[in-house]
Amino acid sequence: MSASASKAKQGSFGGVSNALSTIYGRRWLIGYFVQRELSKSYRGSFLGFAWAFLGPLVMISLYTLVFSKIVGLRFREFEGNPQLNYGLYIYCGATPFAAFSESLTRSTNTIRRNATLVQKMIFPTEILPLTTAFTAMADKLFGLGVLTVVLGFLAYVLRWDGYALHWTLVLLPVLVVLQLIFITGLSYIFSVIGAYLPDVKETLRSFVRAMFFLTPIIWPISRVEGTKFEWVVAYNPMAYVVEAYRDLIINGKVPDLTDTVWFALLSVVLLVLGFMLFHRVKKQFADLI
Amino acid sequence: MSTVVHLEGVSKSYRMYNRPLDRLQEALSFGRIKRGRDFWALKDISLELEPGTTLGVMGRNGAGKSTLLQVISGVLQPTSGTVETVGQVVLLQIGAGVNPDFTGRENVMLNGLMLGIPRDKLLDRFAEIEAFADIGEFMDQPVKTYSSGMRARLGFAVAVNVEPDILIVDETLSVGDAIFKAMGIQKMLELRDRGTTILFVSHGTGMIKNLCNQAMLLHRGEMLYHGGTAETLDRYQALLSSTEAQRSGRPVDTGYEIEAQDDELDGPIFKENPELEERVPGLRHGTGEARIMSVEILDENERSVRMVDSLSSVTARVHLQYAEDVKKSHVEITLRNKAGLDVFSASTNAENVSLDGMRKGERAIVDFNFEAWLQPGQYSVTTAVSSPKTKNLYLDWVDVAAVFKIERAKGQPAIPGLVRLPTRATVHGPGGVHRDG
Repeated sequence: MSASASKAKQGSFGGVSNALSTIYGRRWLIGYFVQRELSKSYRGSFLGFAWAFLGPLVMISLYTLVFSKIVGLRFREFEGNPQLNYGLYIYCGATPFAAFSESLTRSTNTIRRNATLVQKMIFPTEILPLTTAFTAMADKLFGLGVLTVVLGFLAYVLRWDGYALHWTLVLLPVLVVLQLIFITGLSYIFSVIGAYLPDVKETLRSFVRAMFFLTPIIWPISRVEGTKFEWVVAYNPMAYVVEAYRDLIINGKVPDLTDTVWFALLSVVLLVLGFMLFHRVKKQFADLI
Repeated sequence: MSTVVHLEGVSKSYRMYNRPLDRLQEALSFGRIKRGRDFWALKDISLELEPGTTLGVMGRNGAGKSTLLQVISGVLQPTSGTVETVGQVVLLQIGAGVNPDFTGRENVMLNGLMLGIPRDKLLDRFAEIEAFADIGEFMDQPVKTYSSGMRARLGFAVAVNVEPDILIVDETLSVGDAIFKAMGIQKMLELRDRGTTILFVSHGTGMIKNLCNQAMLLHRGEMLYHGGTAETLDRYQALLSSTEAQRSGRPVDTGYEIEAQDDELDGPIFKENPELEERVPGLRHGTGEARIMSVEILDENERSVRMVDSLSSVTARVHLQYAEDVKKSHVEITLRNKAGLDVFSASTNAENVSLDGMRKGERAIVDFNFEAWLQPGQYSVTTAVSSPKTKNLYLDWVDVAAVFKIERAKGQPAIPGLVRLPTRATVHGPGGVHRDG
């Protein structure tokens, strides 16, 4: 590490680029942090990391059993694929949404949660929201991976009608990166707000719960298209995300390009704003908590 | 030589609120409503340190030591003033950056990465760190199974192996055992010789003496003194005794005016202790015709102290003021030990002196001089003023009017019983001598 003078005033731009190089310099630390967060919930259990895969498998089976077999829900609107399992459909939408909601609610107390790091150590706090977002996304990737394997199993081993693995899966990493940018930006913003106002966590929890129902997760997007409720999905970035995942994984379609560009723009703007905001106030954190 | 640490007029204040709502109101009013108070944890501290300096930071709890170190390390921002440091700073505090659920090995990696050591350097250094931490097979156990000393060793081992430019150690060594302390000091001396500047907080004066070539004394956020280690330690001791005495009910000047005590004065000056005035019934009662204003303990040099050597000459000085005319009165003191046992009592009556014809508003000072042939330990002085006229009623009676400690002086024999009484031992020989076998 080179000699650096920490002065009270520092150029804003120089500061930001410094912070960015810190993040690059500490990439191993971020890796350890994500690993630490991911493995935290599995520590001490006998099956250990296998739960990262077993958990989603249990959920997929439950969704399928309850919604398709017990409730027997089918959507007529579900184009050309009446056999498609409703449980898988929900799971495919709920998983990326969970990455969003988890990073959002966890980021509000990410500074408080790591109080010892913020107050007692010389520590680059920039990496905390980043870790929160990465962890939430990585955790859900296991779920999506399991979903893909289940789909492949149904299509090629059990040879069920209407199931296939589409070439569009190749595009999945692009979408994951876009969503990661989106939730990282939000994490920066909400970790700042949460550090100032601890109450925001509960507020946000309710908001996220409302978002779950206002996003086409348990209902198909076609239900609101052309109705007076269309704005619910038109101005909801998560509606785009959920639909895009389903297009890539289940429908084998490429998501709408204009929507994708808009979402990408929104994500980048959020990230830049969030990072700048965070950088501006991070020195106050030790006093706030 | 250039400086590596440069502080100029550094102050740090915290805003205190009685209720969380006050904080919110103040924040929302943009400065129009003032609900909080400022607490100054640091006041106008200026400091310059050259490379290779080892500075001991002393002061009582809450003096601002940790705040100062956190400000220097950049974890906290000063409210006013500037802080400049050159090079890599490592701040070591007890329990910081150690995750209890992870093994020692993982924590070393995590801790090292947090301190900013590149991963490959950390892997290279791992054996060295492990050797220094010296916790054996516990390295692969979760840190929650560690003792607090082992945790401290782990954190310390990582920090010193970073070879930082500025190492800030906040009481970390104090939880370790003697061997670890010695190793820690040895390692820090090595770092110092390589040019690392070390700032070191410890309540162990011995460690500061061994390690530091400079010291500073903080009191209530202010820097009272910065200079040589020995001088600072003296001032620290004086501060400790004066502040403790203050708490135990003796009117001594506040810490930073301790020099005033040494002033030569003609005769005793009258002192008042406001703490005695606030005594609740139970610890104080009486008719109020006379008031005990203060009680102090003086050593052989007539200095107000809280600690005296055993077998030395001690004076208990009682300051009185009369609220009414009192024809005849007596003063009495009782020394009580830690167990609450009355060990020794003295009175003007028994010594055949008395305070006669005192007028309203008149003051008096009574000295009881005695040899402290008492078992070392903590003693309290209960003081009473009585008059033959009101037999069963004290004019004033104050329990625990002063507290002091008797310490076994160097070279003096121990006193195994409660007191040592004037004794004469005689050996009647030769028949009085018995031999075994």
